[in-house]
Parts: sequence; C-alpha cells; structure tokens
Amino acid sequence: MNAPSQASTQMFSAVWKLLRLRWQINLNSFKHAKKSRKFWTILGLVGLLVFVGFIFWLSFWLLGFLRSPELTKYVGLDILPFLQAIPTLIFTLMFFGVFLTSFGVLLQALYLSNDMDFLLAAPVPIRAVFISKLLQAVLPSFGIAAIFALPILFGLGVSGGYSLLYYPLVILMMVTLTLASAGLSALLVMTVVRIFPARRVAEVLGFVGAITSMICSQSGNLSRSWSDSGEPSSAQLNGLTNLVTQLNVPWMPLNWAGRGLLELGEGRWLSGFLLLSLTFGLAVAAFWFALVTAERWYYSGWAGIQVVTNKKKTSPLPSSVTNKVSLIATVSERFLPAPVRGLVKRDFLILTRDLRQASQLVTPLIFGLLYSFIFLRNGSEPPAGRGEAPDWFMESFRALLVYGNVGMSLFVGWMLLGHLSGTGITREGKNYWLLKASPLRPAHLLAAKFLVAYIPALALGWFFLVGISIMQGISLISFFYGLLMVAMCLAGMNGILLGLGSAGANFAWEDSRKMNSGKMGCLGSILAVLFLPLSFGLFVGPLWIVSVFQLPIIYGYLAGLILGISISIICAWLPLKMVEGRIAKLGEA
Amino acid sequence: MPETSPLIETVDLVKKYGDKLAVDNVSIEVYGGEIFGFLGPNGAGKTTTIKMIVGLLQPSSGMVKVAGYDVQAQPLLAKASSGYVPDTPNLYAKLTGRELLGFVADLYDLDRKQVVRRIDELLRMFDLTEADDDTIDSYSHGMQQKASLAAALMHDPKVLVLDEPTVGLDPKSARLIKDILRQIADRGAAIMLSTHILEIAERMCDRIGIINKGQLVAVGTMEELRKLDQTSEASLEDIFLGLTGGAEMAEIAEILK
Repeated sequence: MNAPSQASTQMFSAVWKLLRLRWQINLNSFKHAKKSRKFWTILGLVGLLVFVGFIFWLSFWLLGFLRSPELTKYVGLDILPFLQAIPTLIFTLMFFGVFLTSFGVLLQALYLSNDMDFLLAAPVPIRAVFISKLLQAVLPSFGIAAIFALPILFGLGVSGGYSLLYYPLVILMMVTLTLASAGLSALLVMTVVRIFPARRVAEVLGFVGAITSMICSQSGNLSRSWSDSGEPSSAQLNGLTNLVTQLNVPWMPLNWAGRGLLELGEGRWLSGFLLLSLTFGLAVAAFWFALVTAERWYYSGWAGIQVVTNKKKTSPLPSSVTNKVSLIATVSERFLPAPVRGLVKRDFLILTRDLRQASQLVTPLIFGLLYSFIFLRNGSEPPAGRGEAPDWFMESFRALLVYGNVGMSLFVGWMLLGHLSGTGITREGKNYWLLKASPLRPAHLLAAKFLVAYIPALALGWFFLVGISIMQGISLISFFYGLLMVAMCLAGMNGILLGLGSAGANFAWEDSRKMNSGKMGCLGSILAVLFLPLSFGLFVGPLWIVSVFQLPIIYGYLAGLILGISISIICAWLPLKMVEGRIAKLGEA
Repeated sequence: MPETSPLIETVDLVKKYGDKLAVDNVSIEVYGGEIFGFLGPNGAGKTTTIKMIVGLLQPSSGMVKVAGYDVQAQPLLAKASSGYVPDTPNLYAKLTGRELLGFVADLYDLDRKQVVRRIDELLRMFDLTEADDDTIDSYSHGMQQKASLAAALMHDPKVLVLDEPTVGLDPKSARLIKDILRQIADRGAAIMLSTHILEIAERMCDRIGIINKGQLVAVGTMEELRKLDQTSEASLEDIFLGLTGGAEMAEIAEILK
C-alpha cells in the first residue's frame, strides 16, 4: 500500500472512531436517562416519523393536484414552471440555510468544545478531527432540511411519475450540497476566528441570531397590521410564482442539481447526468478545498485562540456620566446597605457586558415597540366584530382601552421580569460559592435581586406608558394613576417570580441562555401571569363600577388604589419572606 | 506562638449524602498563627469538610466553629471572619479584577475609604496590576487563582481556608502564595489548606491532618506523625501511604520498575 492511500485509510479509520465515540456518548446518555425522558424521546421519534409521512402524503397530494390541467384552466396560471422550480428552490434554500446555521454550530464544535485539547493531543490526523466535527455539527441542520425537503422532492417524483433513479440521486445531491455548504461555512468560521476571538464571535452571533429570529418571528404580525386586507391577492400570488420561477436560471450552479434531477426524472438521461455530474464535481471540489485549507488553518486558528488574551480593557466613563453615576452612588449609599449596592452594581455590569444575556433584554423592547405600533395604529378602538355586542359592552370596552397604555407597559415589564427576576439567583451559577461563603444576609440578596429585575422593568414599563399616553392624549389623572398601577403591578409580579424562582434556583448551567429555575420557577411564571389580570382588575375594576353606577370617579380611584396596592404589596413581599429561610440551603446539591 | 483557643474547631463533624458517609466524626482544631495541612486521597472527604467549615455545606451532625462563632448558629459572624479559596476559581467572567475586589469589599461591608488602597495593595501583591481592568475571562488559570486569593484576603480574615491553592500555578506564583500564607499566619491568622503536593505540606504546614474514607486517621506535627510510623526517617509520603493504604501500590510500582 502506498503512502497517500495509507494516510487516507488512517484518516477514515480515525473519522470512524470519532463518530463511533459520539454515537457511544449519545447512546450512553439515552441509556442512563430517566424513564420519563426515554419515553418522551421515543415518542418524539415516532411523532417525527408520522410527521414526515404526513408531509410526504401532503406533498404527493398537493403536487398531483397542481399538475392537473383543470386547475391551470380554472386559475389561468401556468403552474408547470413553478413546479419545475421546486427542486431548485429547495436546494438553494437548503444550501444557504445549512451555510448560515452551520456557522454558529461549527464555531462551537471546532473551537469552543471541551474535547479539543484531548483530540489534538492524541495521534489523530487533524483532517479527521475536522471532518468528524463538521459531520457532527452539520447533522442536525441536514436532518431538519431532510425532514421537509425529502418528502416534497419525493412527492414531486411520485406525482410526476419520475424514474426510479431520481430518488437515490435526490439523497445523493442533498448530502453533497450539504457537505459543500458546511465546508464553505467552516472556511468562513476559520477565517473569522483568525481575526476575532472565537468566544467573542460566539457571543455576538448569539446576540444577532436571537434578535434576528425574534424580529423574523414577529414580522408576520407587523405586515398584517400594515396591510389593509389579510387575504393574499391574485396579483401577489402571481408575483410569488414569478419570483420562484425566476430563480430557476440555467447559469446558476445551485440550479444544476434541481434541473438535473428533473431532466433525469423525466427521462432526458444525457442532460440530466451532465448537470448532476457538474454539481457533484463542483460540490466535491468545494468540500475538498475546505478540507485542504482546514488542515492548514484549523490547527493554527485553534492554537491561536489558546494564546489570544481576549483583553477587554474597560474604557473610562466620560465625566458627565461619572458625575451622574457618583450622584446615584451617593443617593443609594443613604438608602441601601453596601452588599445590596454591590450586588446591584455587579449584576448591571454583567448584564450589559454579556451579549448572550443582553439579547434577552432587548427582546421586550422590540416586542413593545412592535405591539405599541399595532395598538396605536388601530386607533385605540375596540374591534367592531359583527356588531352584535350590546352598547354597554362596547362602551366598557372603550373605557378599558384607555388603560391600553398600562396593559402595554405591563406586557413589556412582564417580559423583562421573565428574563431577569425568576432566574435572578440562578444567574449566579457556579460563582454562587462567593456569595455563600460571604456574610451576606438572605434578605440582602433577595433585595438586590429584586432591584436588579425591578429597576429596568419599571423603567421600560414607564417608558412605554409615557410614550403611548402622549400619543393617546389621555388625562393627567389617568396618566399618574397608570404610573402607579405599572409600578405596583410589576412589584407584585417581581415578588412572585423572584420568590418561586429562588426556591428552585439551579446553579448547574454552562450557557446563560439555557439556565432555568426549575419547576418552582415555572410555577412562579404561571402565578405571575394569573396575578397580572387580577391586580390590573383590582386597579381598573372600581373605575368601571363607578362609571356604570354613575358615582363620583374619585371613589373609583380610591378603591382601586386600596385594592390594587394591597394585593401588589402582599405579592411582592410574601413570596420573598417565605423563601428567605431556604436561601441558606441553596447550592448544596 | 499559637493562641490558646482554636480559630477553627470542628467537633464530631458528620456529612452524609443519602446512605454514603462522606465525613465521619471529624474533629480538628486549628490555632491562630499556624498553617494546618489537610491531606487525603481523592474522595476522602477533604473538600466536603472544608465546605462545611466555610459554611457552603450544612453538616448532617456535629459542630463547626470559626473564630469562636458557630457556623450554623452565627453564620454571618463566622463568615465575616473567614476567607475561602476554592479548588476551581469560578469567578465572575465579565467583571474586571478590580471590579471583583470592589464587589467583595461591598459584600463584606468594608470601609469605603480603605477599599481603593486595599485593592491596589492586593493587585500589586499578586502581580495583577497590569490586568486590573481586563475582564476575568481573559485571565489565565493562575491569574484567576491569584484573583480568587486576593478576593479571600480583601477583608483581612482571621481564618483562611484554601482548597488546593497551588494547583495550576507556575513555580513563581506557587512560591508567592506560600510566602504570603506564611506572612498571614505569622500575623496571627489560622490557615487551613488541603493539598495533594506532600512536599508543600511537609515544608509549609505546622501541623498536618490526614483524612481517609471520611475519617481523620492522623493529626500532628511532622515529628508526631513520624512517631506514628515508628521510623524517625520516614517522609510524609511514607506516612501518608502507610495511613491511607497506598503503601501496597507503592510496592507494586517499585516491582514494575
């Protein structure tokens, strides 16, 4: 056996060993999992198979329906170019989807996983490590793509009566394009890591990813609010069909796979094989190029991150900011004990510096802006429905909408508290020993965590309240009543979330996005959601009652204040008091 | 000379995890001015005992006193008197070294006028001045270990408890820490440290306790431990292996040579 083939055998053998190791780890975690987890895993897999079968059936049925000449005649659209563009559309989406999603996963797998020291110290070819990491990272993306793409492509084949060779080649093309895309994505990762520290890239990526996905998820609501009619017009459908068809241009390499499969499926063997061979060759070349470059770049990039000092010099604050900060410090010194001040200051510093956590804090702001826009665009008028509602109901509804500003403020405040309050103590993670070994009173810890969640939630809630109130032009008394309502309701909700979240505090987490405060925290979230309408009702209910019975409004305000403030104070204080005794035992698992 | 009343005192300390007895009736006394080495094989109960002393774990039974305060009954007073350096320096990654020490000063409610001076002093002492405004996630393991020790010394504790303080340190830093611990002990503080490096224990510690399978099997000065071994020339390694059942392993290793 000559030297190159021996090296290649050695590499594939190493890849096989590394993949087998990963499989063994997954199998062991399944074997040692709790029975309930095993049950849900098996149920999930069965559900997935059923889902795939359903998509296949739906694709087969729908594509068969779209091919019917009666439909073309009835709708007046030639649907055939659209159907022919489907494989191209799927392969293009899959290629770019895998390219984008693999970036973060590959960054983690290639540079930030814990086993890198072990693997690079072992006599394993670096190329084998790269391939095994790439396969592990790309498998989930490929799986998701396959779940949706395969049934559609197979459905297209069955409904079009394509030749049998079409089906294995669909799988081959998917695998090849996925590997090429992941290879290029890995190249991009390696390029970026040569310039920026891998951990920082991961943080920025997490932040951008979270914000983008959140904006994308809400774009539907915004576009619905923007457009006057919810029904898609025939012109829009035509435009969409044209767009998809226009993607299917012959000179784009990504289209060769889809066109080749169609040609082959429809019996045009020569052109089909030619296009598929071209795609295959190009994809293999891209993957090979990534492999060869990886061999040169990967080790140097990985070795580089071991010595990058990742220095983050904290820049001095401008004098105007320093003055404000010292003013706040002087005021807080008078009212807050030093440990509480220290904890609050530290938590704010960490929250603003850790981008992974910052993304969770920006979410309520974006949601708030979006829903405020929708709320204000609808003119603060109740939906007319079918006009069957009695007048008194519509009047009451209109009166309640005056407090839509409060509702919106509570909504954003609730979202922010959800991120900050329930996980307040859990956020300490493995650093909790420092607090536990110090002479910190549980009451001080709870007070600090309360403030860390409450101050930003109240500031954000009031920000929206002021903004919407100005746009609505509501009366001054309603505005001040709203300020108080928001302050008290958020305090009550904060107490519930923090109290129950602290009772179930869990310090065993690695990624701050994955921390949770267990079952108790979950119960806290449910109770907080129940508390919100209750406290809102106690504040607003008396106003509604006095308007129905035509009594002086001042009675309504007084009753609302007494009831609302009482329940809020009880909910803000009682859960914390109840959990105070448990704080000393936290972190003793 | 050591003080007459112990600054660390455990009486019949027991810790159970379910059916497993991790610490079994351990009674230790550490006096002001002395460095007490706590040795034992992996899983012997060293870290569990230490965690009970600093108030990170509640004992199943028995009593712990630190600086005369019962850790269970007067936890805040006991903790205010002690400093702790864990085996793994988990520190707030997104704080700078200076901010960490400032935060610790707040936790211990130190006099604000003294804090800046004390932080500068500690940063200089541990050679961290140049990295004082870098976030801790950019520190090497050794720097984090030193930052952790600086945090433990921030309030000038009467009792210092260290779990494997020299792991991962370069010889220069290890020497620095040994010198600092000696100085602190000479000023009257009680120091208890666990270590696997017997040479450190032999050279640094005034008294040594050896724990095996949760039980304290020997306590005393090197001379007192040698008497237990009945050989005046025995090294700490020989005594340790003899007491913890590792002597057979040493013999096997000798044969394999």
